[in-house]
Formats: sequence, structure tokens, C-alpha cells
Amino acid sequence: MMTAMVRRLLRRGMAGTVMLLMGVMVFQFANPFIADSFGGEEGLQRMVELLPPGLRSLAELSPEFIALTGLAGYLSLAYDHPVYLVLVMSAIVGFTGRSIAGEVDRGTLALTMARPIPRTNVYLARLVGLVILIVLFAVSGPIATWLGLVIAKPSGDVGISQLATLGALCGLLAWSVGGLTLMVSAASNTTGRVVGWATGFLVVSFFVDYFAELWSVLEPIRPLSIFWYFDTTATIVDGAVPVKSMLVLGGSGVIGVVIGWRIFERRDLGI
Amino acid sequence: MTSASRSVIETDRLTKEYERIRALDAISLQVPEGSIFGFLGPNGAGKTTTIRVLMGFIQATSGRASVFGHDCWSDGVAARSRIGYLVTADALYPDLSGGDQLEYAAAISGAAPVWRDRLLDALELGRDMLGRRLGAYSKGMRQKLALVAATQHAPELLIFDEPTDGLDPLIQRNFEELLREFRAEGTTIFMSSHDLGEVERLCDQLAVVRAGKLIASGSMASLKRQFSQRVEITFANTIPIGIEHVAGASMTERNGSRVTLHLDRDINPLLHFLACHEVERMVIRPPELQEVFLGYYEQGEAMADGAPLR
Repeated sequence: MMTAMVRRLLRRGMAGTVMLLMGVMVFQFANPFIADSFGGEEGLQRMVELLPPGLRSLAELSPEFIALTGLAGYLSLAYDHPVYLVLVMSAIVGFTGRSIAGEVDRGTLALTMARPIPRTNVYLARLVGLVILIVLFAVSGPIATWLGLVIAKPSGDVGISQLATLGALCGLLAWSVGGLTLMVSAASNTTGRVVGWATGFLVVSFFVDYFAELWSVLEPIRPLSIFWYFDTTATIVDGAVPVKSMLVLGGSGVIGVVIGWRIFERRDLGI
Repeated sequence: MTSASRSVIETDRLTKEYERIRALDAISLQVPEGSIFGFLGPNGAGKTTTIRVLMGFIQATSGRASVFGHDCWSDGVAARSRIGYLVTADALYPDLSGGDQLEYAAAISGAAPVWRDRLLDALELGRDMLGRRLGAYSKGMRQKLALVAATQHAPELLIFDEPTDGLDPLIQRNFEELLREFRAEGTTIFMSSHDLGEVERLCDQLAVVRAGKLIASGSMASLKRQFSQRVEITFANTIPIGIEHVAGASMTERNGSRVTLHLDRDINPLLHFLACHEVERMVIRPPELQEVFLGYYEQGEAMADGAPLR
């Protein structure tokens, strides 16, 4: 029963998910070629130095950014780029919104709920589907980057283990967002409501983290943003996911999943 | 309790409140095993809410609902393992073919679809159609598919909300025949429908709800007995004087030597009166379900007070 439910969940909206996955791969695959076109690490360093200070601040780059972090630092920038984040978050939020609230909205959840399946298993199937999706998106970016590195061969060293660690961090961010939106989905009756809450949360979180860099007044509330814990550069350069990221991103995802489960177990379903 | 009198569905003072609205108000029902039970009421009366409680989709505010002795909320999995529930045709997955839809329903039921072929034949749903996506289906075809998906695993209890909505009369007749066969094989059927003709043809037990309250419940025959019969009498000569004063009878129409009366319960006073007069023709017509239904609605309050119904 569980396999049938998970397969059904993943198959629904598969075309959109595949498109987003391809978007992520193309975006990350292209990045090593861009690095190479600038002349590898040396070329990138020169380019960063030439940038006006204001623009460097906007991009959160110090003049010696490439000198300190090398090619890995440059590649990490593509993982907290808004295009990449929008692609990944669209897939995650779309799936969680569709899988409970969307099914309540359409009434299709009745097909499943009318069968002798405990609510916990119905929820668990959504969770398994979410984890599969997170793993797919977490590995697709680093694989595409690695393929790009193999083919483009820009100057500079980046190991597979560094990319794997970066994938793990991306997976943790997706898990955090996925867990929290699954909670909202478990309590909602429409996909629109889930997407609305998730978009609001992500946009506010992103801009708090972004503007805190430029405006010191916001600095004290920066830890409230999940993007504060999404330090791609430190992760790829150090080759390890920071402990605080593991705790906060992992923990918030777990909290979201557990609260969502308790809500789904007890709520009335208007199907 | 003998198997003949065993209740498959039992609700005891079942109440459901949504903030300030009381959707169900102390509904107590017993659905006997092997019966076809009609659950009637206008939109918003509480039919769908009752079915949602029975399916464990929503939790009752107070009271109890059980299916085969299993509490519908706390032991819902055991209850649903014996139920076939008809979802609305719009609730099928639009991206699946008909065949995949049935396979998915079978996979999550945990039971083999032993009645599938029988249902497909009765509903005249061609096997070639099963390969097509739901988007290619008409409303009636989707309803047929939903019926097959709900019933194919041979459940002991079928719960239907408007089962023949969108079916053409010929298929509707086939389906009714199939339900009678299922009943003969021991299946209990609980159905809500606005098609009173269908309910009258199929159901042997009935319950009527209004504004969340149960206002009548029992066998079709016993409920009809509570309503007046219509009697048409054609006399050989003129209508005799005093017929309007016969106990329990009230005249609704007179035309030449023909008179139409509504008769409450006992026919004997009328028969005594007619014994002294020459009657050419007499037709006694029991009330139709529509009259019963409307009667409960128009005079439901009077019924509660014990007054006779017409």
C-alpha cells in the first residue's frame, strides 16, 4: 500500500518536477564553464577586484573572496543564487502543497482515506515522497557541477567530497522548508494557502538575511532567517556542514514534520 | 442478537458541531445487516456529514458511530476494511487512465478486485475505455468508474452518496439490479440519494434527516403506513351523503359519482360505510415515497408532536 501511495504522489506533477530538476542541473552544469570563460581562479579574482564596492556588497563578496576560497567559493555562489533557490523551493513547496492540502481541495484524498490505511501511514507516504524529492534535488546540483568541472576543466581544485557536502547542506535547507510546509499542508484545505504561507516565509527569510548584510540594524534578527544557516561557501570550502546548520535546518524540518503529523492525525477532513 | 437483526451501522446520539453550527444533532441510527438503507434529506440536512463520520474523515463532537462494531474514529481502519465507499466522480485522479485508477484503488485496498468484471459488464464500461485518461471520460463514465473503484473489492458494506448521479436510465436499471444481487449475497448498502424513485425501488429501510436531526427511521412499509392512503371510489349512483364524515377520511375531490378521499390508517370505518352503498370501482393507492418525504418535511414538527401526517 505504501509503495502504491508514494508512487502515486511522485507521479502526480512529475512533468513539472522533472522540468525543475533539469533547470537545476542546467544551471549548475553551466557554472564551471562560466568560471573557465573568466580564466579560472585567477580570472575570477581579477573580475571580483574590478567590481564596484557597492556591487560587491550586494553580492556579499569581499575583494579577496576568490583568493581565500578559490574555485570552490565561486561555485558555491550558484547554490545560494535566487534562481537555484526558486527552482528547488518550487519543487518542494509544490509537492508538499499538492500532497495533502491539494488532495483535500480536489477531493482525491478520499480515494485513499476510504481504504483501511491508518492516517499515520497516509502521512508517512507523503513524508517518504518528500524525502525522495529532497534527495533528488540535493544530489542533482552537485552532480551537474561535477560534470561541468570534468568537461570544462577550469583552473582550480574542487573535490567530489566538497560537492557532496554542499549537496548535504542543500538537502538540509530543502528538508527544513519541506518539513515546515508539510506542516502547513497538513492543516490546510487548499494548495494556494500552502504556497502563500511558504512563499511569504521564504521571501521574508531571504530578505532578512540579505539586507542584514547591508544594514546593521537587521543584524540581530538575522539568525531568525533559515538562510543564515545556509552558508554554502563555508560548507564547500571547509568540506563539512556547519553544526549549527545541521541543528537548525534539520531540527526545524523535524519539528515541522512532527507537528504536521499530529495535526493530520486529529483534524477533520472535508472530503 | 441474531444475525438477522444485527446492525452493521450504529450511531448513538451522534452530534457534530462546527463552531456555531450543529450539523448533526443526536442522530441515532441502526442499519440492519443485508438491507438496502436509504438516507434521505435535502441539501445541508446532514447526510454527507453523517457519511464522513462513518468513514472516519471527521470526528464526532459527541455520541458514537460504529461499523461492524468498530468505532469509526478510534478503530476506523478495521471499520474501513469492510467498507466500499463511493467518492464523487470529480475526486478521481485526472492524470490516470481508468485502468490505472482501478489498479491504484485495488492496491491500496489490500483486497483483490473480484467484482471488477461483473461491475464493468453491468455498467457497460468498455475495457477499451480503461486505457484512456480520465479527461476523455464523460460525467457518466466517470461515475461508472468511481462505482467500480468503490465496489470492486467485494466489501461487506457499501456506502454511496448519490450512486447513480449522471447514469442513463438503462445503466441505472442495470446497476440497481446488481445492487439487489449484492444484497442477496449478504452485502449491506447504505445510500443517500435525491432520486426518490430509485430509493423507493431499491431500499427496504429508510431514514429521513432534516437540519441535522433524524425525523423518521424504519422500514419503507412502516413509514408509508404513517401517511394517508388515497382512495378513489366510483359509485353506481350519486355520491352518498355522509361519506365526508367517515372517521379518518377526508374528501379531497368529487366529480359526478366519483370521489377521492385521503384515509388515515384504519380503513374499516370506510368499508362499513360502503357496505350500505353500491360501489362500481374502488382504487386504494398507498402513498409514494415522494409524498412521504415531502410529508415529513412539511409536517416534521407535527410528527414530533404525534399528530397524524398526510
